[in-house]
Amino acid sequence: MLEDVKVKVKETFGFESEPYDTNVLLIHAERNSVRKLLEFLKEQGFNYPHTVSVVDYIPKGEGFQVNYILENLSEKKFVMVRVNLTESDLTVPSVHDIFPPLQPHEREAWEMFGIEFIGNPRLEVMLLPDWAEGLYPLRKSYDFKKHRKPSKEKK
Amino acid sequence: MGNSIASSGYTFVLEERKEVSGEDLGLLQEKLLQLNWGVQHPASGPMRLKVWVDGDEVVKVDPDIGYVLRLLEKLVEYRTWINAIVNVERACFIDNFGTMTGYSIAAEKIAGVEVPKKADYVRTILCEAGRIVSHLLGLGGIVGVLGVHTPTQWALIAREKFLDAFEVYSGQRIATSSIVPGGVRFEPTGKFIEKMVTAVDFLEKEFIPRYGEVFIDNPTLKIRTVGVGKVSKEKAVEIGLAGPALRASGVPSDVRKDYPYAAYGELDFKVVIREEGDAYARYLVLWEEIQESAKIIRQAIEGLPEGDYRTKFPVKVPPGEAYVNVEWARGCFGFHLISDGGTGPYRLKMRAPSFANLWALPEIMKNVKLADVPVIFASLYMCHGDIDR
Repeated sequence: MLEDVKVKVKETFGFESEPYDTNVLLIHAERNSVRKLLEFLKEQGFNYPHTVSVVDYIPKGEGFQVNYILENLSEKKFVMVRVNLTESDLTVPSVHDIFPPLQPHEREAWEMFGIEFIGNPRLEVMLLPDWAEGLYPLRKSYDFKKHRKPSKEKK
Repeated sequence: MGNSIASSGYTFVLEERKEVSGEDLGLLQEKLLQLNWGVQHPASGPMRLKVWVDGDEVVKVDPDIGYVLRLLEKLVEYRTWINAIVNVERACFIDNFGTMTGYSIAAEKIAGVEVPKKADYVRTILCEAGRIVSHLLGLGGIVGVLGVHTPTQWALIAREKFLDAFEVYSGQRIATSSIVPGGVRFEPTGKFIEKMVTAVDFLEKEFIPRYGEVFIDNPTLKIRTVGVGKVSKEKAVEIGLAGPALRASGVPSDVRKDYPYAAYGELDFKVVIREEGDAYARYLVLWEEIQESAKIIRQAIEGLPEGDYRTKFPVKVPPGEAYVNVEWARGCFGFHLISDGGTGPYRLKMRAPSFANLWALPEIMKNVKLADVPVIFASLYMCHGDIDR
C-alpha cells in the first residue's frame, strides 16, 4: 500500500520518498505544494493526523524541519511529510482547513519554534505565559541559563 | 469585554452581542454570558474552560491551558538516554509506564538494541497495571462530576492494591522510573508477582462485581450520560479524537493490536469498541478495558519467560530517528525521537492524546446544555500533565 503511495506521489508531485520504518513512509516535500500533497494524502485514506513535529535543523544550524505525521486508520499505515525551511524564511502554509485537528499543533509549533503557519487563524500563545511570547524556548539557540531564576545564596 | 462582577469566587463577564439568530431580542437577551468553568481545578487538573452561554445553552468553548507546563521536551535534551525517563514519565503520573515504554522502544530502535523477552513481558504487565490504575480514576471521575463520590473511593481502594505491587517492584508507588531503554530496571521478584496477582484478584472478584452492580446499569447515571456529547464515527476521525473516546465512537483503533509492541503480539485480547459515541459509551469503554487488561496481566504472568530482564544500552547512540506509538491509558502516545550521535536525545516530540481530545472538545460542546459540560469534559478522559507537557 505504501509502495503505491510512493509511486503516485512521485508521479503527481515529483517528491522522493523512502521507507522510514515498518509501516511508515517518509516523503520529502517542498513548501509550495505541501497543501496539495496533504489533500492528496487525505484522499488516499490518511485522514487521521497525529501531529506537527518541528526539529531545529537539518543540516544542523541551518534551518528547521517540519514533519506532518498522518495515519491511515483502516490500512494501519503512516506517512511522514517532511518540509525543510531555511533560517531566513520560516514560513509554511497552514493546513488547518484540510486537517482541523492540526490547528492547535501548528499553534504550539509557532509558540515553541517561531515558525509562521500562514493562514492559521489563531497564532497566539497557548502553553507559555504571555510574557514569554517570542522567546521560542524549544529552539537550540534558546539560552536556558539566561532565563533561569536566580538560585538562593549558599549558606 | 464588559464589566466583571466577582462574587463568591466566580467571575462573570458580560459581553456585547449584536443579534441572536438574526433577530434583535431586546436588552437582556442581547448579552452572552462568559463563565469560567474551573478557574484552577475543574475536574481532573489545573485548567480553565471559558464557556460562553446563551441562557443555559453553550455557544462557544475555549480552553485556557498551560498551568502545568514543564517543557518536558526541552528538559529531555539535557539528560542522558537513560536519565530522560524521569522526564518522560512525568507526562502524566497516573499511568507512567506507557510513556516510558514508548520512549524506550524509540531509543532502542535508533540504537538497534534487542530487548530480552522477559523485559517485554514485564513491560506488558506494568503497562496494563498502569492502564487499570488510570481507568479506575477515570471511571470515578465521570461519576464524580455528577456529584457522587462513592465510586471514586471504591476505585481508590482497588487502585491501592496495584500501587502496593509497584512499591514492591520499584520502591515507589507513583513515579516508578522502572522502564529504561534496554529493558526494565528491576528483576520481577516472586513477591512482586504475588502482589500483582492479589491486586488482580481483588479487582476481578471484589471490585468489578460490586461496582458493576451499582454504578454501571445505573438509571440516574444513564439519564445524565446517554446521548450526551454524541460523536459519530466520521466526526470522531475528523476532529481527531484519541484513545477510548475514539473507540467509543466505533473506530477500532488500538496500537496494541494494530502495531504490536512489547509482548502484545503474543497475547490474546480484544479491542473494546462501542458504536453509540456518547458519554455513556465512553464510560463503558473504560469499564470493559479494565476487564480486558486484567486478563492480559494474567496471561503475561503465566507466560513470563526466564532469562535476563535488561541488556546493556550504549552510552552514545548513533545518529538517527524514530517515530513510535504506544497505546497509553488515554490513547495513542507518539514519540518522535531524534539522536545526533550524542549521549542524550537531541529532540523529543511527544504527541499527547489528551491534547488531541482537548481541542476536539469545543466542537463537541457546541449547543449542549451548561449542565452537560462537566459530563462531556470528564468522559473525554483527559490528563492535564499530558496536555501541557
